Amino acid sequence: MGEEDRTPLSSFIRKTLAQSLSLQLLEETTSQLQNQPHFSTACSFNTNEPPRVFKTPKTNFTRNSGFSSLGSVEEISSCCWNCKTRRPFLICESCGSVQPVDHSVDYFRIFGLDRRFDIEDGSLEGMYKNWQKKLHPDLVHTKSKEEREYAAEQSARVIDAYTTLRKPLSRAIYLMRLEGVEVDEEQTVSEPELLGEIMEIREAVDEATDSQALNKIQSQMEEKLRHWCNSFANAFGSKSFDEALKSIQRMTYYHRVNEEIVKKL
Amino acid sequence: MLRHASRRILGLGLAETRSSTALTTRFYHERVVDHYNNPRNVGAFDKNDPTVGTGLVGAPACGDVMKLQIKVDEDTGKITDACFKTFGCGSAIASSSVATEWVKGKQMEEVLTIKNTEIAKHLSLPPVKLHCSMLAEDAIKAAVKDYEAKRGKSVASTTDNA
Repeated sequence: MGEEDRTPLSSFIRKTLAQSLSLQLLEETTSQLQNQPHFSTACSFNTNEPPRVFKTPKTNFTRNSGFSSLGSVEEISSCCWNCKTRRPFLICESCGSVQPVDHSVDYFRIFGLDRRFDIEDGSLEGMYKNWQKKLHPDLVHTKSKEEREYAAEQSARVIDAYTTLRKPLSRAIYLMRLEGVEVDEEQTVSEPELLGEIMEIREAVDEATDSQALNKIQSQMEEKLRHWCNSFANAFGSKSFDEALKSIQRMTYYHRVNEEIVKKL
Repeated sequence: MLRHASRRILGLGLAETRSSTALTTRFYHERVVDHYNNPRNVGAFDKNDPTVGTGLVGAPACGDVMKLQIKVDEDTGKITDACFKTFGCGSAIASSSVATEWVKGKQMEEVLTIKNTEIAKHLSLPPVKLHCSMLAEDAIKAAVKDYEAKRGKSVASTTDNA
């Protein structure tokens, strides 16, 4: 799936992260996360708001520097750590300092998008590049070690957000996760219709001798994917999560077929 | 990583994948590689044959499908032959291959007791691949169930048909 494609840059960033002190703080942040209620469906943020101004939700897990870990996190985390003004969103407007990662900001928020399946794919890349122009670790060489670490984390998170939201299947799975519904890795199904169909298609792919035949199957799969993407969007929009999961299952199967075709071509 | 190395069905001309598996941080156990390179029982029976039971299962999270078929001796209830076709990772292919080996020559009630943990242990599957062995266990059960349904008989239900 798309999430597994890491750019060389992001894997470099991850290596640097692992080596730096921030690993300890990431664990701290994660353990705080587990103690807090999951911030999911309560969002009714104004969607037309530009991503700059960010209304800090109650549960905020930003790292603090120099304060006691529990209790006073909420107060200081809503201000820029450097100039103490305003409420920064990823990067402070006033002083330009990169902020530590706030894990309660979901990927859609980062790109100023509604939390729904149908998003404007075209705008995603532009926003992604804009963020990287500001957050990229290469831009903060002269800044403090702490800020460099923030930049590395923020940049990595924006990359994750971009790769997740860019592809329909990973976007769908992420949306479900935000609603608290996880795709069960261990589940087995025995729907004869669906499986029989997939079996036939996979066999056809295996037996196909030329690229023309493969391309034909590929376009058939893409059509099915479009259909099931719509199905997911509708199901998710009307909160029928069982239906949505079924759509994701179908999308996964058709997507796998295309992966195989691509390998063969 | 594992998937990239071995997402192919057996028996249709395999490319040598040893080199690519060596580059991954996790290695396939030699038994898994063996089943991959020397596939046993790949194929298909006629599913309309009354002595054949077909189990078709899938793991939607990874997009795997597994078909396991058994040929049963009507008089004795013994499985005389088995074959499989699996589209999935090396662990899934090996699990179903092992399953077909293990059911041959056994009674139907007996094969219902085959546990995924046994398959996983035999292949030294890592934790992330345990669900592949589960798929194989489910495939066996589905095949038996299909045969029963066809025959209208029921096997002694002391075993748990999960």
